[in-house]
Amino acid sequence: MKNLLEHTGIEPGRLHFSWISSAESTKFVDVVKKITEEVKALAETKKYVKTSTQG
Amino acid sequence: MTAYTDKIRQIASKLLTEGKVDMVIGFRKGSIPMMNQPLFIKTPGEAQELIWDSHCALNLANYVTNRKEKIGIVAKGCDSRNLVTHIIENKITREQLHIIGVPCTGMVDRHKVSAMIEAEITAIEESGDSIKISGNGFSKELKKTEVLQENCAGCTHRNPVIYDELVGELVPEQSGVDPYASVREVESMSPEEKWNYFEDLISNCIRCYACRNACPLCYCPTCFVDESRPQWVGKSQDPTDVRTFHLLRAYHCAGRCSDCGACERACPMGIKVREFTKKLNKDCLELYGWEAGLTVDARPALDTFKADDPQDFIK
Amino acid sequence: MSEREPKILSFLCTWCSYGAADLAGVSRMEYPPNIRVIRIPCTGRMSPKFILAGLRQGADAVWVSG
Repeated sequence: MKNLLEHTGIEPGRLHFSWISSAESTKFVDVVKKITEEVKALAETKKYVKTSTQG
Repeated sequence: MTAYTDKIRQIASKLLTEGKVDMVIGFRKGSIPMMNQPLFIKTPGEAQELIWDSHCALNLANYVTNRKEKIGIVAKGCDSRNLVTHIIENKITREQLHIIGVPCTGMVDRHKVSAMIEAEITAIEESGDSIKISGNGFSKELKKTEVLQENCAGCTHRNPVIYDELVGELVPEQSGVDPYASVREVESMSPEEKWNYFEDLISNCIRCYACRNACPLCYCPTCFVDESRPQWVGKSQDPTDVRTFHLLRAYHCAGRCSDCGACERACPMGIKVREFTKKLNKDCLELYGWEAGLTVDARPALDTFKADDPQDFIK
Repeated sequence: MSEREPKILSFLCTWCSYGAADLAGVSRMEYPPNIRVIRIPCTGRMSPKFILAGLRQGADAVWVSG
């Protein structure tokens, strides 16, 4: 999934996958922090946002 | 090529006479050059209509989905791989099929030929490796290798992978070809360039869904583009919707596509829609060592789990 | 607001990450408020459609967690 999106020009870092067990609340917090930082580093999304209201 | 035609007719009429199959699916000459039509015959007498030449690029595997009768089917290398995929996905059983295998040397790209000639082409003949096209007041000889479909030029599975009988000697497989050259080219671009490349690629798309209809893999009872509650893909010409359609179409073909080129051939706008599916084919091969439709004994890449599957993308 | 606050669309599996998020909340841990959670019955329920729909509607990023 990630590969083709990036292949067609979506920046890496717009899509994340992770695996966290229900007991790993610390890992959950870590991952949220990490992803937020990564996404903040990217510019605001413009590509692929649908702006027109038709159809 | 005429040898193939004779042999196909002979096999088809024998199968129908002996009652081994209820129907034979093959090709007949189209009403305009380079556009052969699929033909479904039920009596031995009709076998004389069957033909074979370099314009039989439609994928006949498209027509066997959920069939109940016994079918004889003419299949090139790529078609046979799609038949395997159908068998794996329980869309037809192996016992129902009598596969007439055709070792293939590639199909002619109608978009390429029409782009070469300005006038209307009214006739096309071929002998061996050369092709003669003619129309009102002109005729031109071409080498077949110049006008091959791109997927055929980079094809590494020209011979059928499963068959009950063959119409000719197996042809040598091509070596040293790189089917993924254009994928590599795109891979080396920056995200911005990639985005623009695909934006440009699909800018002509008119959302006719010919690529979907030509594809033997697309047999969902309700296609995602027709779903309206919830509606995942807008029906407009908005670039976002067009891109969504192409991306989702490609994902549906992941690990199943045999790169037969039917989608690209069907496209009335000449869009290289294979650029999407080819990337996924390449990933499947590199990440899972999987090429679609080579054997009925293995489960497809997205259907199995192995402990050593790549998982770097998961945090 | 000095810094841009991105919206991260998160698909969390009921049994795994959603549980972890719940536990994080119960344990009063602090984490960035940028995620918008959608609970799914299992990560197997994910479909490429969801990711594309999220991006199309303006999410800055999508996060899938099992």
